[in-house]
Parts: sequence; structure tokens; C-alpha cells
Amino acid sequence: MERMSRFERALRGVLIALVLVFFLFPIFWILLMSLQTNDQILRIPPSLLFEPTLTNYAALLTGRLETAAGNLDIAFMRNLGNSLLLSICAVLLSLALGVPAAYAFARFKFRLGENIAFTLLSFRFAPPLLVLLPLSLYFKQLGLTDTYVGLVWVYQLICLPLILWIVRGYFEDISPDIEHAYRIAGHSWWQSFRRIAIPLAKPGIAAAGLLAFIFAWNNFVFALILASADKQPVTVGALAFVTASGIQYGQIAAAIVLSVTPTLALALYAQRYLVEGLSLGAVKG
Amino acid sequence: MVRLDLKNLAKSFKATKILDDVSLSVEAGEIVAVLGPSGTGKTVLLRIVAGVEDPDGGNVIIDGEDMTDVAPDRRGVGMAFQNFALFPHLTTFDNIASPLSARRIPQDQVVQRVKSIAHMLKIDHVLGHAPRELSNGQKQRTALARALVAAPKVLLLDDPLRNVDAKLRYEMRLELPRLLRTFDAAVIYVTQDYKEAMALGDHIAVLRGGRIEQWAPPSTVYREPASIDVARLFGDPTINLLPCRLDRDGNGVSVKLLGRNVALSPAYTHAAGRELIAGLRPEHITVDDASVRDAIPFALEAVMPVNVRSVLYLRGPAGEELLATVGETEAARFGRGHRQVWGALVPSEILFFDAGSGRRVAPQAD
Amino acid sequence: MRGALPYVLSLPALLVCVGILIPFFTAMYYSLLRFRLSLPMMKGFIWFDNYIAFLSDAAFWNTVSISLTYAFLTVVIELVLGLGIALLLVRPTRLNNAASILLLLPLMTAPALAALMWKLMTNPNFGILSYLVSLAGLTDFRWASDPKTALLTVTLVDVWVYTPFIMILLLAGLRSLPKQPFEAASLDGVPRSFVFFRITLPMLMPYIITATLFRLLDSIQQFDIIYSMTQGGPGDRLMVFQVQAYLEFFQYTNVGRSAALMIVLWAITYGLSNIFIKHWLKLRERARSLA
Repeated sequence: MERMSRFERALRGVLIALVLVFFLFPIFWILLMSLQTNDQILRIPPSLLFEPTLTNYAALLTGRLETAAGNLDIAFMRNLGNSLLLSICAVLLSLALGVPAAYAFARFKFRLGENIAFTLLSFRFAPPLLVLLPLSLYFKQLGLTDTYVGLVWVYQLICLPLILWIVRGYFEDISPDIEHAYRIAGHSWWQSFRRIAIPLAKPGIAAAGLLAFIFAWNNFVFALILASADKQPVTVGALAFVTASGIQYGQIAAAIVLSVTPTLALALYAQRYLVEGLSLGAVKG
Repeated sequence: MVRLDLKNLAKSFKATKILDDVSLSVEAGEIVAVLGPSGTGKTVLLRIVAGVEDPDGGNVIIDGEDMTDVAPDRRGVGMAFQNFALFPHLTTFDNIASPLSARRIPQDQVVQRVKSIAHMLKIDHVLGHAPRELSNGQKQRTALARALVAAPKVLLLDDPLRNVDAKLRYEMRLELPRLLRTFDAAVIYVTQDYKEAMALGDHIAVLRGGRIEQWAPPSTVYREPASIDVARLFGDPTINLLPCRLDRDGNGVSVKLLGRNVALSPAYTHAAGRELIAGLRPEHITVDDASVRDAIPFALEAVMPVNVRSVLYLRGPAGEELLATVGETEAARFGRGHRQVWGALVPSEILFFDAGSGRRVAPQAD
Repeated sequence: MRGALPYVLSLPALLVCVGILIPFFTAMYYSLLRFRLSLPMMKGFIWFDNYIAFLSDAAFWNTVSISLTYAFLTVVIELVLGLGIALLLVRPTRLNNAASILLLLPLMTAPALAALMWKLMTNPNFGILSYLVSLAGLTDFRWASDPKTALLTVTLVDVWVYTPFIMILLLAGLRSLPKQPFEAASLDGVPRSFVFFRITLPMLMPYIITATLFRLLDSIQQFDIIYSMTQGGPGDRLMVFQVQAYLEFFQYTNVGRSAALMIVLWAITYGLSNIFIKHWLKLRERARSLA
């Protein structure tokens, strides 16, 4: 495989370019759309050259939409805020609950641990609605429907198993003797956990937290079933937005751009952690 | 004076008994060398004393207090691990300071004590480095410094020189006893190397099959090994073993070895008639060119120089294979071997072991 | 106290487990009931009637058929595409690494939002894709609104989102393969196609199987993309399991039926995932021992 003919190299280049175009084009196009007015969007043939405008974003940010039919209040920023709040809280909670549990699974061999790990593992592939539909009825009884608390709790179903899988492996990779040495030196178990185990597993914790955030942010069906209008994150809100504002395509595009930017930016910034977390989650478990 | 007592320690993993009724005592200022092949539970023993492993039975008593159920951070023990176990994300200084900061000692004292022990172990110039920047020798001395800095009552050293290069190992073997004496702790030193055990230990505990096969000062273990296995562990090249039988005859007791009758002290009378195995240490076989009275003829098959000695590969009259050692200058006489030589045994140095149990048959003075 | 530590630490994980198991068993129970929220007085225990009713229900078989078709189509396409892209990018050059990073982006997009993006792009009035397709002579291509092309459209979105996942796995797999067999083959002058089919593919099989099963199990339960795109339409052309169950529950308030449907889906995925988990644990052990 050392030497490639010029033709082959060119062919590879072309193919890679085609692949990149296919996978990046939609994002690029929606971005363009978000900078266009409705008239520009509806123009046929669509053109790449136009005067960009920020009115769509302005409308979203100010929450007021001016249409020919009158003014419309958009609560899209609220959706964005919900996504932020829910995802951050869900991840923080799952880290707080999951990291100690992952440590327990890594360091101690106990029956309950194996059972928990097995249950969470086997439910990774179970249909979410299997659990969500009855859960929605329980929520109604418990008064948790359409509450942030209820949603953050349910999001643990997504975030916690992820944290457990990824972080457990990192804890297992730390030589137990290092922690033993720290204990023998005179430190308590808690100090050893805080000052040795966690710092040494930091890359894994970061990867897991990042992935959990992205999965929580991208979640659709949980919020669809258990939240109503003012608590919905962007995934559900964008859909509602489309139905509500009908013809305001530029604003829809802008809403989509705002909705995907956080996860895409995170992905680019921390891609090394992500790839490690994803393949670890899939292969090394 | 702080004493470490281990009483009837037992530990099993799955079905295997790693430790089976192990007891020993170490006084303050004493070094006990625990010797045994790998996998025989020496490290497990240390872990139990340190408190990071729980025994299935038995007690660990430090300074009169039963510490068996006490957590490792409250035992006041210092331990140096075989693979160093340094904290990779802390500097050498912080590694060494760890036991002191755990005891909430004020910072200026910490600095002074860390610097002083680092100086003693000659690592003061790498105090600011991270562990991954250190050589194995420096890592080992950091681990030692960390174990010593809080002046613990009990010091556990798990084969600390194993992962260190030969030259440094030799130097440390000389330095360590001196260093340890200044700390007046009860020391357990685990090793697989009998020379190390003999050089460092005030007492040696030979650990085999989960039990202490012999507990004695080094010279005693060498001269009066409790069993064939112990005799084989100590000595390089290994002791020669020949099956034999003690016979009573007109002059007392004698044994037929290598075609000669060797007269023995009457203290062996009690063992007459038993099936035994005679142990001949290589250095107790004298070899010469010329025949003297009662000398045994040997075919000298090969001569192998080892440091300042040479090992002679001998074949006895009935085909027995023996090893003998001679000094360098003497070895020169024998060239490369392939000739006949004459050997003599030193009867008082012959060891006898029971052929069945392997345990040594000691001469009994009446 | 020391012995209790692991239990204390894993307590929250245990609670989550319980939080999953309780609704799960509830769903099992509901599936054995005639239970409609809008007709509470009719609630009654009917054993397996819900399931038996499925057997003669055309809508049920439609769901099964569509779900399986969708899963099969998406996984096969994504596998072939993902493998191809991984092969293209296997050499760790700057360009290839940058490309594989950029290719992560569709995977990081919420599938529901990806569906919206494609919905905009396939809008018959101004969608760029509708325009491009019309240039090729296919005017009035209705994409997701047309029963004939709806499946194709959602498959396209799924492929767009999830191919990078397979690509990442297979790329990691390809890069971790030992070099010797390939060096030996190239020294011996073995033709490239032979190398690929007889050396590369077999060695890559664990990763391929892992990726395939992962995607298969997720694809057969797809909800986000299809719901966002068409809510199961046009008609019932895209009525996959979870979308059907959702509508049964929220539109027809038929708790019994939707629960039964989910149990059927769960049984399918449970069976598949059991095969998978055993294989996955083996792969994990191998990865551990090689490390």
C-alpha cells in the first residue's frame, strides 16, 4: 500500500470530496437558508450568491416575528434555554451519581454490581417507549409531568448508563496499588477517591460527560412525551415551531442552526474525547 | 519498643490456600526477610499487614494493639511497592510528602523532612520532577522515601530492588541496612533472592506452601536448613543431593557416598538405617590434581568461571553428577576440564535429609 | 462499614435500574389488559388477546414489514458506505484525519433536527434537493409526501446521520489491525482484491458485527427521524413500531395495545441483543487482553 499511482490518489481525493459534500452539505445549506429572507429562499433557481441578512436570528432572539399576517410571539429562546438547563443538569446529576457507582463496579466485585451492570446493559437496546409510556402515566399520578425535576430524572435513563460504561473502564485501568499506597500513607477512602481515582480518570470522565451532554441535548422522544410547551427542549420545540410558523422558512432554518450549533461546536472542540468515548462505548464497553 | 506480631494469618483465594497459619514477630530495629519463590503469598502477607487486604483468619498486632480490623490509613505503616506505585500526577516532592500531609503536619516541617530524606536517598535533585521523568532507580528511592518519611513503626518493603538494574541493586543492598537502622522500625523485607535475604535480614522467614518453613538467622538457615527445599533455595550453585543410607559399623556411624565410606560423628547414630539424602554444598568439595588418601576419582567434564570462582562439573565413579566450586587461581590448574581429578568431602559439612519428608535429620548430641 | 461501601456508592445506579424495571413490568401487565384511557370502565384482564389480535391485524403486519425493511435497508447501506469511507480514510494523513473529524458532525446532530433539515431541503417549493432532482428530469418529486418515495427519503436521512458511526468503528478497527499480514501479502505480490476479501474483511469481522448489530437494534426502533418527518405517513407507509405505539397511546389512548406492541418489539430486540451481548463481551475481553 506504500505507493499509489497518481490516478489512484486523484480518485481517492475525488471520492473523499464527494463524501464530504454529501455529509456536510445539509448543514451548510441550512446555514445559508438561515441568512436569507423568505423571498430569497423561494427564488428558483436557488443561488449561492445573495445578500445575507440577520433578521431571522434577530426575530428568534427577540422573540417577535413580524409576518404579513401580523405579529407572532416565538418562544424559541425558551426552548434553547430548556435544552441548556435540562442537558447540563442531567449530566451533572449523572456524573454525581454515576462516577462513584462506576468506581464501585471497577474496584469491588459484588453481586449487586454485576446485576445492575447487566440490567443497564440489556436495557440499552430496549425500546424507549416501552418504558416511557407507562412512565408517563406514573408521572401524571406523581405530578411530575411537565416538571424540570421529572425530566432531569428521566434523562438519567440516557446519561447514567453511558457514564457507568465509559468511566468504569477508566477506573479499571488505574493500578490499585496506587490507591493502596495513598491509603497506607494515611488518607481515608474518600480522599483517595477524590485525589487519586478521579484525577487519574479525568479523561474518561470528560469523555463520558461530553457524550452524555450531547445525547441528552439530542434527545427527542423523552421530552415529547413528558414535557409540554414551556419546558420543551429545542428538539421538540423546533418541530412545533415548524408547524406554528408555517411559511417562515428562514426562521425555521435559523432555529435549526441555533439548535445544532452547541452539539456541533462541542463535537469539534472535543472530538478526540468523543471518538474515544464512542468506540469505547461500543467496543471496549 | 514497637513490635509487630503476626498471629496465625490465613488467606485463601478461591480454592487455593495462599497463607496457612503464618506467624512471626518483628522487633523494632529488626529486619525480617521473607523469602520464597514468586506466587507464594509474600506480597499478600504484606498487604494484610498494611491493611489493604483482609485475612481470612489470624491477627495483626502492632505495638500491642490488634490492628486486624483497622483501616490502612490508621495503622501507621509504611510500604514500598515492587512496582513503585508512585502517584503519576504528583511531583516527586508531593509523592514523598504524602504521608506527612495526611498527618496534617505544618508545611514548613513537611518541606524540611522531605528534603532531609531525599538527601539521605540522594534524590533531592529530582524533587520537582514527575514520576514518569525518573529512572527506575530514582522511582524506587522515591517509593522508599515515601515509606520512610513519616518514621513509621512498621516498614514493609515488597521486593524493592527487583525492578532496579544490577549495579544499583548491589549498591542499595549495602546502603539499605544502614539506612533502615537509623529509623528503628520493625521491617519486613520481601524478596525472591536468597543473597538479598541473607545480606539484609536479621532473621529469615522462608515461606513455602503458605507456611513458614524455617525461621532463623541467615547463617543458621544456610548451615542448618530445615529441609531439602530450603537447602536448595540457599546456595549458588545449588546444593548437590545424593541418596544414601547411614550404616552402623564397628567404628560408629558411616555413610557410603561416591564409592567411599565416610565416617560420621556419633551424633548421627539415631538416624542409622534410614533412607536419607545427603546434601553436599559445592564449596565443601575439595578438588585436586593429585590423589591423596581416600580421595574420590572424578571425571572433570567442564569448568565454568563465575565471577571470582569457578564451577566444576564433576562426574563421580558411579556416574553421579556433582558441582564443586573452587577459587579462580585454583581453577587455572584445571584448564577446560576433560580430565581426571581427585576430590574429597568434608564430613562435618555433610547435611542429611529424610528421603520421604525432605526434612533435615539433625545430629543429636547426647 | 467497609463492606457496605460498594452498595452505598452504587445506590443511585440501583435506583435508576428500579426506575426502568417498574415501568417495564407495568408495560408487561398493561399488555395483558383491555385498557383505553378514554374508556376507563372497559378496563379488564384479557390475557394474550392483544397479541392474538395482532396476528390477524393488517396494520400490525404492516408495522412489522415496514420496520424490518427500514432496518435492513439502512443497515446495509450504512455498512457498505461506512466501510467504503473507512477504507478511504484509513491512512492517518492530516487530510484524512480532518475529514474524519468533519464527518462526525452529522452523527452529533439530533436525528429529529436532521429530519427537519432534510424536510426543508426536500420541500417541493424551494428545497434545494427538489430543485436538483428536477434538473434531472424528475419534476414533482414529492419525497416524503409520496408513498412511493417516503421510505427512500427517511432512509436517506438515517444514512446521513448514522453512517459516520459505522465509519468511526470500522476506522478504529482497520487502524488496529496488525501490519504483518499486509506487509507479507504485498511482498508476495498478492492482488489487492484478494487481500481485501481474504485478509482485511475476516480480521475486521468483529467490528463489522458489532457495528451491524448496534445499528440494527437501533434502526428497528427508529422514532425521532420518522416522527419528525411524517409522523408515520403518508397514510401508514412509515408506521414503524415505535411510531405506531406512540399513536396508539396518544391518539387512540389504547394503552393495552400500545403496551403489547412495545413488548413485541422488545422481544425482538432482546433476542437480537442477547446474541450481540455475548459476542460483544468476547470482543471486549480480546481488546482487554491485547491492551
